[in-house]
Amino acid sequence: MYWYKSWCETRTVILLGIAAIAVACIFIVFNQQTMRDNASEPTTYVALIWKAVYDTFGFDLFFILSVVLGSGGLLQEKTHGTAGFTLALPVSRRRILFTRAIVGYCGVLALALTPAIVLPLGSRFIDQHYSAAQALSFSLLWACCGSIFYAYTFLLAHLTEGEYSAILAAVPSLMAYRFLMAILWLTHFPTLNIFGIVNGEDMPFFNESTYLLVGPMPWLALIVMLFIASLFVFLAVRRMEPMDF
Amino acid sequence: MSLERIIQTEELTKHYGAFKAVQQLNCSVRSGRITGFLGRNGAGKSSTIKMLLGMTKPTSGHGTVLGHRIDDPKESLEIRRRIAYVGEDKGLYGYMTVKQLICFTRSFYTDWRPEIEKRLLEHHRLPLDRKVKALSKGMRTKLALLLALSRSPALLILDEPTEGLDPFSIEELLQTLEGAPHEGTTVFFSSHQLGEVERIADDILMIDQGRSVLDMPLEQIRENYRRVIFRFAGNPPAFPSNFDGIERIRMNGHQVTILASGNIEAIAQLGRERNAVDIDVAPLDLREIFLETVQEQEHLGQREHHDVLV
Repeated sequence: MYWYKSWCETRTVILLGIAAIAVACIFIVFNQQTMRDNASEPTTYVALIWKAVYDTFGFDLFFILSVVLGSGGLLQEKTHGTAGFTLALPVSRRRILFTRAIVGYCGVLALALTPAIVLPLGSRFIDQHYSAAQALSFSLLWACCGSIFYAYTFLLAHLTEGEYSAILAAVPSLMAYRFLMAILWLTHFPTLNIFGIVNGEDMPFFNESTYLLVGPMPWLALIVMLFIASLFVFLAVRRMEPMDF
Repeated sequence: MSLERIIQTEELTKHYGAFKAVQQLNCSVRSGRITGFLGRNGAGKSSTIKMLLGMTKPTSGHGTVLGHRIDDPKESLEIRRRIAYVGEDKGLYGYMTVKQLICFTRSFYTDWRPEIEKRLLEHHRLPLDRKVKALSKGMRTKLALLLALSRSPALLILDEPTEGLDPFSIEELLQTLEGAPHEGTTVFFSSHQLGEVERIADDILMIDQGRSVLDMPLEQIRENYRRVIFRFAGNPPAFPSNFDGIERIRMNGHQVTILASGNIEAIAQLGRERNAVDIDVAPLDLREIFLETVQEQEHLGQREHHDVLV
């Protein structure tokens, strides 16, 4: 039943997030001609989808939602005054946190998968084509990179008290990381740039003229990301286990 | 498992930085009894309860609940499986409905009693489909109590259970608590409502500044504690403060008031030997004992503080 509680805590963000990403994708698909006409240079349908969904608006939405999903947990419960009730249940803190982390991450996965369902289906309605395999590959990138945004916020949520303190710490620090990655000498290490991997920009597995993922996926980098995300969650658990409430 | 002492602490201490919340607390709670846990705000009651539940770790000392160590996470799980707890703030998940919260809580316990749940639901008129966040404070308290009382726990720990309840609900709760030991449940509850404590408690555990200042059956307190007042024709003579049974001596003009925890006849004899013109021995209620004891501790604390500064 602890899964149920975690679901209750996250379902609003997950369901509204899925709806928001789906609406954003549908809006882009159905207004693709207008957007392409107003573009500064000739743009293909596939390029527009990449720019609007995977590079800017869609990704920004996904990024914010991943951070918001990561902001829950025991310290937030302390702020809400429910930690006493939770900790009096015969459930270990480890289980409480892992359950919350897994349910939240399932939400991130659902958000990442939304464009992979909406874009190929929506494209059919306007006689365009967007490959389901392409969309699924981008979802994989979102799911792995999103795990870092999510788990990083989850860790911050267990380091700082306050309703929004984790979000307020995570967004600027991740933005600072993004700008740091644009510093000249760090650009030589593209695999360190999560914001580059997530949409393929400047990556060997992405063709910048067709806007398609072409080469083999960066499996090692993706596995390392999942490992780091797991480490963040583990650190959050380690921080909570001895904590006084 | 039958244990005579259901809660036992030895030198249990909790410090939050420089603040000493609980200091070398030695206490025991007897099985099958109702123990009133008394103390002022900030005396260390909630900190003690949180340590018993594994929510905070003791700085030093030991404690057991139902024979399980409170500082061992695995044993703490077993403690929480067998006890019911209602916290001071009655914080419940506002996003769940009453029905969802009951189903959620029920799923963790094998000793859930649906007939009690049903009876309490009807009694408290709790709206099943309403979100917990939409309930009044009193209703939330009733729901928190329902979640704790709809089981057959070995131990019921309640932190200020009557706060926010109307007089009718308080009466019902007190009756329920009075009947709990007959169903095999030991009750350990903190309250500032001394009248309520005096009505239902079998034992009293009083703490102040994190230390145990009184740990005794209420019956024994009633039998032993007396206020002895001596009146003198002139200035009153000195009384030995370390005399057996003397807890506190207060002088006011020609009058000496002694709070005695026993040995009353010998104390009265002290007054006679000092030519008291009038001796009055009166029983005390729990409120008076509480105030006298706490004032004494404050006085001692101030003196210690003064000695340290000097």
